[in-house]
Amino acid sequence: MQIEMTDRHYRAFSFARINAITFNTLTELTRLRVFYVLLVFALFLIGSSIFMAQFSFQQEFQILKDISLGAMSIFTSLLAIVATARLLPQDIEDRTVYTILAKPVPRFEYILGKIAGVLLLLAISTLVMGAAFLLILYAREQAAVHATVTHMSGAPREQVADAMRAIRSSAFNVDIFPGIIIIYLKACLLAALTLFVSTFASTNIFTIVVMAFIYFIGHLQATAREYWLHEHSSGVITRIFLAVVALLFPDLQAFNLVDDIVAGTAISMALFAKTAVLGTFYTTIYTLLAAFVFYGKEL
Amino acid sequence: MTNPAVAVRGLTKIFPVPLHRQSIVAVRDLDLRIEPGEVYGLLGPNGSGKSTTLKIILGLVSPTGGRTEIFGRDSRLVESREAVGFLPENPYFYKYLTGEETLRFFGRLCGLRGVLLKNRINELLDLVGLSKARKRRLGTYSKGMLQRIGLAQALIHDPRLVVLDEPTAGVDPAGSREIRDLILDFKRRGITVLLSSHLLAQAQEICDRVGILADGVLVREGHLQELIAIENQTELVIADASPQLVNEIESFINRSNAKLIERRKSTTTLERLFIEATTKNHEARMSNEEGITKQK
Repeated sequence: MQIEMTDRHYRAFSFARINAITFNTLTELTRLRVFYVLLVFALFLIGSSIFMAQFSFQQEFQILKDISLGAMSIFTSLLAIVATARLLPQDIEDRTVYTILAKPVPRFEYILGKIAGVLLLLAISTLVMGAAFLLILYAREQAAVHATVTHMSGAPREQVADAMRAIRSSAFNVDIFPGIIIIYLKACLLAALTLFVSTFASTNIFTIVVMAFIYFIGHLQATAREYWLHEHSSGVITRIFLAVVALLFPDLQAFNLVDDIVAGTAISMALFAKTAVLGTFYTTIYTLLAAFVFYGKEL
Repeated sequence: MTNPAVAVRGLTKIFPVPLHRQSIVAVRDLDLRIEPGEVYGLLGPNGSGKSTTLKIILGLVSPTGGRTEIFGRDSRLVESREAVGFLPENPYFYKYLTGEETLRFFGRLCGLRGVLLKNRINELLDLVGLSKARKRRLGTYSKGMLQRIGLAQALIHDPRLVVLDEPTAGVDPAGSREIRDLILDFKRRGITVLLSSHLLAQAQEICDRVGILADGVLVREGHLQELIAIENQTELVIADASPQLVNEIESFINRSNAKLIERRKSTTTLERLFIEATTKNHEARMSNEEGITKQK
């Protein structure tokens, strides 16, 4: 049965190997039906939009954006933590990791493939949730336009045009898109941090509990830091300590741009770029830390 | 001079126990040399260090001391694994993948793609007898089928060395026999096999050489026939001999200086009896069912 194999030379780095692990991870998570979380999100969105029909259109759009972007942030964060937490411990428990690493696959490629699979899953989820949110927002805007046109049937054209502009400006604003990108980057950061924690955790329950702890500290740490600096001296040791705390517990509040979007405050390019770089930096650092710990792990 | 398939020199592995001063010595000063084309059995009771030795050879665990090589390459290097296929003990794989998808995944990890990968998958599914179950998810596979798909993934990149950790653990006698036949087929094709087992009867049937580990130390090693031979005894197996002929042989022995130790009927093995009985029963049931279908 010997078949003729082409000359295959080992390469220290191979996108093909990483791709294989990435798409396998995506298949695993998809077949585990993690996308059910999207269904819950859609139902939540439809339910809340029905409830909001009783408000004025400005209030309705404001609450819809607040609830939808807030829910997107929570759902993607939850998905990032739960989906990532099981990947390594499960592979180790099932000994699948042995068969993979007994092939010519470097450990850092295995880690890169795993995280890339989760990031792809999060990208798909964010796109679907974003699309569902924009669809509902558009539907509510059309409903408001229709109601206003009917209501102002005898009014002068300029007045109707002003009303239309008011509806459209309070429904859509361009800052929704950078807001959604930042929500995605926050989820990426949490996925990378979860992967790092799971490299030294033995069960996914442990990883999820630690991540829940980090999630809450991450949202509170900016307030705590300000209080600390206000109450104590800001010497070198204090600053080093705070830098270490910031690395261990990323400032997740920095990724919260929802309030600005809801209030209609413009998100500056500088703020968006700074937050995006911060998210990418943390995701990269945690992935490298995960690869480093996994490299020395006894399997 | 050709490199040995596996060379282990002065291998020691000590696992520290957290919060305790003492540590566990899993393997102590082990030397092994496995030549290309051999079937080598690493035998020993549970906890004797077999799996740890295999994991070190595969670079999954780092040694405390000593060195391991695969075809002359340091086994800590990832590229040394190009030549190796591995089947762990009780493998689960990804339950959500089908047999075909599993082989495709492992093939891609080894740099295979396109028609070459497709052909390889077909040939391996044929080899391990899982062509009909190729579209079924592994979650529905029996233990024996999982072992066979495990063997197929170990062979996907046409390795020169196959490492098998307890390949028949938990498999029924028929499945166990199929796996044994596959290992013998590897040998015919010149693939070196290193297997660990505590099922001694099976190791005896397939191994050229064995090493026996106890408490992490290699206590015996050598060619199987030399190790198990009893120097001053000879067996004669005679077919269709009349009682008269047997009596004559026995009296001839008694007249000489030799001593007859035992006279008994040749027996088959319990395994062979089991397989014959279950196969016959299965065939009878199938033909019976066929008859009923035709009558309808």
